[in-house]
Amino acid sequence: MTSGPSETALEARHLYFSYRRPVVIDFSLGLSRDEVVGIIGPNGCGKTTVLRLLDGILTPQSGEVLLAGSRPLLQLTRKEIAQRMALVPQNGAVLGYQTVFQFVLQGRSPHLSLMGFESAADEEIAREALELTRLGPYAGERVSQISGGEKQRLRLARALAQRPEILLLDEFTANLDVNFQVELMRLVVRITRERHLATLVVSHEINMLAAFCDRMVLMADGAIRSAGAPSDVITGESLRDLFGIDFTIRFDITTGPEVLPVIKGAQNHGLDSSTRRRSSPFGPVGPPMESAASPAVPQREGPPVRTGVFPPGGVG
Amino acid sequence: MSRLSRSRILTVVAVMLAAWALSAVAALSIGSVSISPATSVQLLASSVAGQPWQDTPAGAILFSVRLPRVLLASLVGAALALAGAVFQSLLRNPLADPYVLGVSSGASMGTILWILCTASAAGQAAGSLVLYARPAAAFAGAAATVAAVYVISGGTDPSGESSQRLLLAGIVMASLLSSINVFLLTGANQADLRGIFYWLIGDLSRPADASIYAVAVMVLAAGILLYMLSNSLNLISSGEEDALTLGVEVPKVKLRAYVLASLVTGAVVSISGPIAYVGLICPHLVRMALGSDNRLLFPAAFLFGAVFTLLADTVARTAVSPAELPVGVITALCGAPLFIYLLRRKGGCW
Repeated sequence: MTSGPSETALEARHLYFSYRRPVVIDFSLGLSRDEVVGIIGPNGCGKTTVLRLLDGILTPQSGEVLLAGSRPLLQLTRKEIAQRMALVPQNGAVLGYQTVFQFVLQGRSPHLSLMGFESAADEEIAREALELTRLGPYAGERVSQISGGEKQRLRLARALAQRPEILLLDEFTANLDVNFQVELMRLVVRITRERHLATLVVSHEINMLAAFCDRMVLMADGAIRSAGAPSDVITGESLRDLFGIDFTIRFDITTGPEVLPVIKGAQNHGLDSSTRRRSSPFGPVGPPMESAASPAVPQREGPPVRTGVFPPGGVG
Repeated sequence: MSRLSRSRILTVVAVMLAAWALSAVAALSIGSVSISPATSVQLLASSVAGQPWQDTPAGAILFSVRLPRVLLASLVGAALALAGAVFQSLLRNPLADPYVLGVSSGASMGTILWILCTASAAGQAAGSLVLYARPAAAFAGAAATVAAVYVISGGTDPSGESSQRLLLAGIVMASLLSSINVFLLTGANQADLRGIFYWLIGDLSRPADASIYAVAVMVLAAGILLYMLSNSLNLISSGEEDALTLGVEVPKVKLRAYVLASLVTGAVVSISGPIAYVGLICPHLVRMALGSDNRLLFPAAFLFGAVFTLLADTVARTAVSPAELPVGVITALCGAPLFIYLLRRKGGCW
């Protein structure tokens, strides 16, 4: 891994994909090493389809995806793609008959020969991925016996065992308590920096992405509406454009923008403004999230809001 | 569980081969004329050494009656168990096997049509000219069924649903083809009917013709090709989307595995008829003992299927001696209770 920090690991050029109706329209994005990029947008805006196009599971009807800035994805086999890129899908299966360790070891399969078996080195890599995701103590347990949060970590661990250069995560903090979300996002940022990965996260958690991503992409109706540093793109107008409701944005110099939807008609249900904050569909944001997030942050590399790492030409 | 390695697989294969050899010697010795195991082994050894065996009555029984039957039962059992293991992994469904998916019924229909055609004098002449026509007809029946099931279920879209649809389409085809088979049999004459009836339950008593060599080569070749797909099928049984992200060309692997497993089924069904439960029970028992990694499961199920069918056939031809039962009766008698036990067992492998 000798690549420089700003090397383009993955580039999407004018992707168009239609499935009965157009799902992704003219999507262009450059993904660099060492950065975490987040995509937000309303349900059905094409976020998941973008990830599937980037991983080559779907082929765009026009446009192309280039690996390392030059190799078209179409020229690579699935195995070659899986050696470089790991996708954690939204609803992947976790079947019950395997142990946690066996599941993570599957991540080594793109690196095996046709009739090959996992070597001791492969097992070491799988064990390391388990340690990173703090699943080491569960190695021998059946995957059906671990909790939901552990399953999400397990899926991340298998993706890490692939030793990818590019990590694509689809709603992988969904259905988790806020403390687990923070823990997982922190882990993703740390691994991205340590391993010089290019990481793309799709999520509904606007605040989580705003706090942890270097760049954010706002999508609606299959197209990019805006892209850039969280503090630049997370505005009242941009979010109203995306979701059709009003948001209160509070900017904190240490944690970046914090977003709170304004729920109209809440007063009619006898809620005062402080209760309304906690009952937000985006989870306990503002003060409660700070108390969950800030004390245990050991190493947040650099300031959370990076207005300067937006590579020129990265977003088309 | 210890790490899967080449040496572990070789150990399992060696143990299974030893079990098969013991069963084979037992099967050679048991029958209306009893030949001691020592004599059987001696005769086999002297035959390998090039000495003639025709002189002794024991030798004649051993080599012209029992040995071909032992090899045939082993081949058929091995092929059906392997096909079952492949289908279960491919469709992520423990109920999948060649019988349930309609592949066996399709192969049966091809064979019945062939038998009916060759029943006429002109057909008989043509039939003896084309040695491999019977397995070819069975394979054509199996392949047509596979294609029909594939089209009905909507092919391979990489969502998990397609596997369920494939299984349902197979069940529908199986029942449809069984009805057609019975309908066709009304056109057969009485002399043919008993043979066909036995064959439809699964029967190994029909003397094998030279087409057995072609079938054996086909089964072994397909077995090797399927083994090469074993790890990809491991990942597919964890979910098709996951398999894609882990580098498996899912549609290609599915199609190849499906065609190869159908080929194997069609080939052996043309000889033995559709023997029930071998493809269902053998992979499950092996999975319970050795885990569900296909790289170990495929060779182990292949050999275990051989042992299971060999023993079942030995019981079938000796239990009501001098008459013979179709082997399918014995496999169903063993298989059905075992299957009920598997269904009721908690914390199964699937």
